[in-house]
Amino acid sequence: MSNFLNLLAAGLTSGAIYGIFGACLAVWFRVCNVLNLAVGDFAMIGAIGTAVLVQSSGLPFGAAIVVDLVAVALIAWLFDRLVLHFAFDRSGGGAHGVVGVFFYTFGLSLVLEGAVRALFGTDVHGAPAIWSGPALAIAGFHVQRAGILVIALAVVSGLALWAYLRFTVSGRAASAAGESTLGSRIVGIDSALFRRRIFIMTAVLAALFGIVESPMSGFTYSSGPTISLIGVVAAGFAAFRKPGRAVAAGLAMGVAEAMLGGYVSTSYNDVLLYAILFGIIILRPEVLGLRTRPA
Amino acid sequence: MTDVTVPAASPTAVSRARRRDPVPLSATIGIIIAGSAILAAMGGSYAALIVTTGVGYAIVTVGMVLQLGYSRQLAFSQSVFMGVGGYGTGILETRYGLNSAESLLAVIAAAAVISFLVGAVVTRAPGLALALATLLLPLFLYQLATFSTYLGSFSGVDGVLPFWNGPTYESALVRSGIVTVVLLGLATGLVLRVIRSGVGLQLMALGEDERLAESIGVSLRQRRLEVFVLGSVLAAVGGAALASAQNIVTPDVLNESAQITLLIMVFVPGRKSIAGAIVGAIVIEYLSTSTAFISTNLDIIEGAVLLLILLVEPDGVAGAVTRLMQARTPALKTGGNR
Repeated sequence: MSNFLNLLAAGLTSGAIYGIFGACLAVWFRVCNVLNLAVGDFAMIGAIGTAVLVQSSGLPFGAAIVVDLVAVALIAWLFDRLVLHFAFDRSGGGAHGVVGVFFYTFGLSLVLEGAVRALFGTDVHGAPAIWSGPALAIAGFHVQRAGILVIALAVVSGLALWAYLRFTVSGRAASAAGESTLGSRIVGIDSALFRRRIFIMTAVLAALFGIVESPMSGFTYSSGPTISLIGVVAAGFAAFRKPGRAVAAGLAMGVAEAMLGGYVSTSYNDVLLYAILFGIIILRPEVLGLRTRPA
Repeated sequence: MTDVTVPAASPTAVSRARRRDPVPLSATIGIIIAGSAILAAMGGSYAALIVTTGVGYAIVTVGMVLQLGYSRQLAFSQSVFMGVGGYGTGILETRYGLNSAESLLAVIAAAAVISFLVGAVVTRAPGLALALATLLLPLFLYQLATFSTYLGSFSGVDGVLPFWNGPTYESALVRSGIVTVVLLGLATGLVLRVIRSGVGLQLMALGEDERLAESIGVSLRQRRLEVFVLGSVLAAVGGAALASAQNIVTPDVLNESAQITLLIMVFVPGRKSIAGAIVGAIVIEYLSTSTAFISTNLDIIEGAVLLLILLVEPDGVAGAVTRLMQARTPALKTGGNR
């Protein structure tokens, strides 16, 4: 039983990571129909930036977090002004359709990866733990303190994003912008403003998540794409539009991965998980909720 | 109602209409002659190895032009099929003693069967679902390859035979390079033949608007599947060519970086241009391995160029060149009429 609980705790921790990136992807896709494939890179910058600021520059941990998050927000704002604005706010500018869905943020991801490698090298970095100390023993199972923070942050963020979109006027306006840019502009919704705000917000959230999570796994300059891809999968199971469901999908994926690792094969747990997810998408594509909305 | 008499087409007109389009064959012959001459001139140098590797990638990107450029099929499975090609030839040659020709034919057959089976299910998925399903393929196959001792784990499969062996390493490199160029020529001819046929028009219609394509009688599932199979088989041939040129295949061919490299090779030169895809693959491979500055800062350069291309000219460098030429042509015509 304790083995099961330990696996469950580990699964919930990794699932929370998948879920929150899925939620970040889903909420932005809902607003502007573009996938943020740089979300993992923002997490990587959060982790590596904070680690470097603390270890090399000697900045206090709290100040390093603030500086790092401001830097991430600035990068996101610049990307929106320099790229997304010209691509989506001006008629006839840039690539659209499936190319636009994937490749603008894919380009950003490449630039961020390269810049971090050039600035900070290829070493593994981890920010200091926000809640340091040995793993906690709760009712017969052990869970790392960073893990508890990760799960809590994921659940709170997922709920907050869901509530924002569901219950606030601003959230409904943001969703309307995603449904029809022209229609929303006709009724006075500034779709570009919502796109920018939510892009910056999800970038900062991803960076914060990277800071909280990095004491457990560490980050290198190339950690971003894998995180983003897993986030895409979690968001996919939420029709790329429902952040709360993306967190739930991520948690389910994490638990399934841990159980497969514990009871089937420690080496092939990821392989089995991805194979199962692949099978689900192929056999039941309607679970994605995309059947009626081809790209 | 008035009877409308349709004049019978003259035999000359029919034969003219049925006459083979000369472009695919000319392109095939041109690539083979020019590519072979260039590789022969390079001898067995390091540059020849890089160019041969680039030609291997070009076989894959030519297929991607059809998939991604014309029919806009957003499938991220090319690196997986490169792995099928590379690992297939490696295992058949090192474990089962097949020669390179036999292993290449076996790999083509295996890739056709696998891509048909996979494609029959993945191409059912619409738009983003297809992209998502095919994104998962490299994720789990990469991990499978790294853990599988049969596939050589992280080290991969060493000792893959060159396509055409020679008395020395240099001569084998040149000969294998020429075989790779021949394969590229054949792949280009095949893809051009498809693009310039009625099927190509159907694929363009499908890429522009699926509903429109369906309304004019295009079988979406059949065409999607055909494109997927052809793109996958060419990716497998490209993977086999890379393994043959480098004498080794490692799990790196399956991971997302390989897929990213392929996408850059197609998008920067122009996703609708076969010539662009060929030149782009060779030039990007050459730059990324031959210049220290570029190889160190490759991610930044690729990302910045990709963003610039997407913003300024979504059809890539080839699109910009075409636009420039089109802008000049009417002016010349006007001048001529005067």
